[in-house]
Amino acid sequence: MTALTAATTPAARPVRHRGGLLRAVARTHRTALVLWLSALAAATAALIWLHSLGDEARDGMSACATPPTDRLPSCAAVEAITADETYANGIAVLATVLSWVMFPVAAWAGGALVGRELESGTARLAWTQSVGPLRWLAVKLAVPAVLLTAGTGTLVLLNRWARGDGDPDLVGDWYYPDAFVSTGPVAVAYALAGLALGALAGLLWRRALPATGVALAAALLVHSVLERHREDLWPAVTRTEAGSLELPRSAFQVAWADTPRHGVTLTRATFHPESHFWPLQSMETGLLLAVTAAATATACLVLNRRLP
Amino acid sequence: MTALDTLTTPAVPRRTSPSRGLVLAMLRLHRSALLFWLGLVVVAAGALLWAMGPGADAAWTEYTDTGCDLSHPNLGCDIPGPANSRYQTAVAVGIGLIRLLPLLTGAWAAGALIGRELENGTAQLAWTQSVGPLRWLAAKLAVPAVLLMAGTLTLTLLHRMLWSSDLAPLGVMSWRAWYDDGTFEINGTIAAAQALAALAIGVLVGLLLRRTLPALGVAVLAVVSLVYVLDEVRPHLWPVKTAVRGLEDGTAGSDSMIVETGALTASGARVPIPSCSGEPGCDARNGITHYYADYHPASHFWPLQLMETGLLLAVAALAAATAFVLLRRRTGAAV
Amino acid sequence: MTDTAIEAAGLGRRFGRRRAPALDGCAFRLPMGRVCALTGPNGAGKSTLLALAAGLLRPTEGTVTVLGTTPAAARERLAYVAQNKPLYPQLTIAGTLRLGRDLNPRRWDARTAERIVEEGDLDPGTKIRALSGGQRTRVALALALGKRPELLLLDEPMADLDPLARHQLTATLMADAADHGTTVVMSSHVVAELEGSCDHLLLLGSGRVRLAGPLDELLAAHTLVTGRAGDALDPHTVVESRTTGRQLTALVRPAGPLGDGLHGDRPSLEEVVLAHLRAPDAPPLLLDAREAAV
Repeated sequence: MTALTAATTPAARPVRHRGGLLRAVARTHRTALVLWLSALAAATAALIWLHSLGDEARDGMSACATPPTDRLPSCAAVEAITADETYANGIAVLATVLSWVMFPVAAWAGGALVGRELESGTARLAWTQSVGPLRWLAVKLAVPAVLLTAGTGTLVLLNRWARGDGDPDLVGDWYYPDAFVSTGPVAVAYALAGLALGALAGLLWRRALPATGVALAAALLVHSVLERHREDLWPAVTRTEAGSLELPRSAFQVAWADTPRHGVTLTRATFHPESHFWPLQSMETGLLLAVTAAATATACLVLNRRLP
Repeated sequence: MTALDTLTTPAVPRRTSPSRGLVLAMLRLHRSALLFWLGLVVVAAGALLWAMGPGADAAWTEYTDTGCDLSHPNLGCDIPGPANSRYQTAVAVGIGLIRLLPLLTGAWAAGALIGRELENGTAQLAWTQSVGPLRWLAAKLAVPAVLLMAGTLTLTLLHRMLWSSDLAPLGVMSWRAWYDDGTFEINGTIAAAQALAALAIGVLVGLLLRRTLPALGVAVLAVVSLVYVLDEVRPHLWPVKTAVRGLEDGTAGSDSMIVETGALTASGARVPIPSCSGEPGCDARNGITHYYADYHPASHFWPLQLMETGLLLAVAALAAATAFVLLRRRTGAAV
Repeated sequence: MTDTAIEAAGLGRRFGRRRAPALDGCAFRLPMGRVCALTGPNGAGKSTLLALAAGLLRPTEGTVTVLGTTPAAARERLAYVAQNKPLYPQLTIAGTLRLGRDLNPRRWDARTAERIVEEGDLDPGTKIRALSGGQRTRVALALALGKRPELLLLDEPMADLDPLARHQLTATLMADAADHGTTVVMSSHVVAELEGSCDHLLLLGSGRVRLAGPLDELLAAHTLVTGRAGDALDPHTVVESRTTGRQLTALVRPAGPLGDGLHGDRPSLEEVVLAHLRAPDAPPLLLDAREAAV
């Protein structure tokens, strides 16, 4: 192909439509991309380090005897191990961070991803290029969604790996809010819901700062409502016994009632056994994905209604 | 005054001081922030007042009805009943809003108050009115500062009343000692000082970065680190008392903030408590004669509170002064 | 293919129910290949009309057809530069042009875009944030022309350029339009700036079309009349008349030969536009709407 034909037939150039839009989104949000990748790298490094501490930490929690027997180590030796504290603190911090990914994501999506573009008019700049507004919104949501899913998903897997056998004395019981969110697919669903809610807030408010605030408030609302009603997402198990009743350590206690009847105390305990982890995770993930889908659909509808 | 008079004397300015005009302009510009702040104060105060009155009564009635105040409470007493739940929620809402305050203040000051104005040029618009940049900055600091002080002090006072009237059994889920993080700050002057420091830090960050969203992010980080650092250094802000006890004695009083514990040898040297786990005679073998505890008794509440308030106000003053110097150097403004 | 660049029929747009409409019942037709000046007082609806044509707003009534189709479908073939010249402040000039290439993969002409940037002595590595207002305008125009649009919509394009840059960029624009047969619509309220470069005029006032048509025909339809005070101007359509002392000056649309004692002159574009701006109640003159209605 000569220079002449190239110049006269610009329309015949290979179509790189999708790639172009992807590159454009990556280029305009480079800071966020760099921040997300650094956060991922830091969290990955921390989790690998915690995993390497795991065995020593479990030794620091093992049963002991004074004086030591041939099966149990000396208690002085066990107490001298400090790795368990470091490990437990580290796991707790990462669990909190992982279960709060939603908040910075929502703030960013409402503020920088959508709100600022609408406020400064760069969104209109993009819409009068060859890509339509819906396409623009789709890619703006899809690229961060893929990155968030991949990143958060990897971190959840790494977190499960770093928690080892999940000794509740070290890493917390499975139903602790942070532990629950950070060990299953809900973590990813929370991040995605944050993204969709943020984008919707940005589209509705069209200004960076109010949209950031509204997105954060919406994320906070969803997060706290789900945390409060997590136990109701799956039917709990009820056990009634006369006299005192002992639930296993792993039981997620929901309700407890003692009623004296015919001189005997009848104890009624409602709880989630550990086997309810996956049903609860699936229900919460499903709910969050529904919120995500509803917010995304509303965002598309809003954009579609506003533009011809 | 007739219409004619006003028409013929346009050159006589209305006797409004320029500061008053600036304050009015500030309030008008940031009306949504003002309404938000009023709403927040009303909600938090309402939650605290409700918890103090009907909330606590209902929870207490429920508590005695289920027999939890008897000598053998059942396991169900570990789980709050519905009235207790509502009480706890109201308390949590009140406390949560007060504790969120420094963060919100910092974010707003950096983003909406300063960053956005510098980014889209409305700051320059203000500076070319009859007020100079420094006056503008002074108003931006003073008006929110006064409002923040008034609201926060009201809320801390309410919280203090709630906390001191807190019925111990109702706090069974989350009994709050005077020295707990999250109780200590909102029981005295610290909360208001935190809000002021956050305001000054936000203003400084906004002036430095001159862009809305980055300024917001950096200010939030700065405020969070400040609060965290102060939580860490809190016990060292006032000389501790030391309690020494023999190997066989009981523990020290429970209403004290324990700063450090350890063991003493015969020479009086402080050593860490050896890992003995109750082995008989182990302490003596290691040369331990006494245990000690450094602690703050409850009477140290106000000295600690005032020291931390002083530190926060110093941070606020430093940030505000830096902001003034920065603005003066940038604009060359005299007043 | 169609020979019409923009055609509006009963086009209206209101923002909020209570406020007066920004555009109200606009009807006009702009043929292809024209360079159209869109003018009118502040708040006349110029920006609204351009945003409607660019597919950035949905009309509340009526239709606008762009390049023979809807604005949304014509998106790839039109370019639009908004009044405040929005660009991504965090990108460099080169990055902005790459953005144009990425978002217009089928049409991007890097040479044109780079040439416009080079003519302004701009370093491609400079961040948009660091540019002056006029330099931003240059980059925004480079982005618009790099797309090789068939229709170029410019909202107050030259407002913050220095006279030299204005001259140069207008020349670039006109040369480009002539080379590729691009239709250009540029809004401005500086009438003098438009006279040399435009061949079509659209004058808006209070959301309605006041004057529309080819420039020379519009000028030919008007006569600047001078005479003595008290002279009758019947049966001509009077746009505006003023008496100073004994002297009568009026802009009329003659309906036949001028009467005795009246002296007619060919008005300049500025005189025609100013007379219409001063007389908001003068009847509109649409020299292309009739064609459009056919």
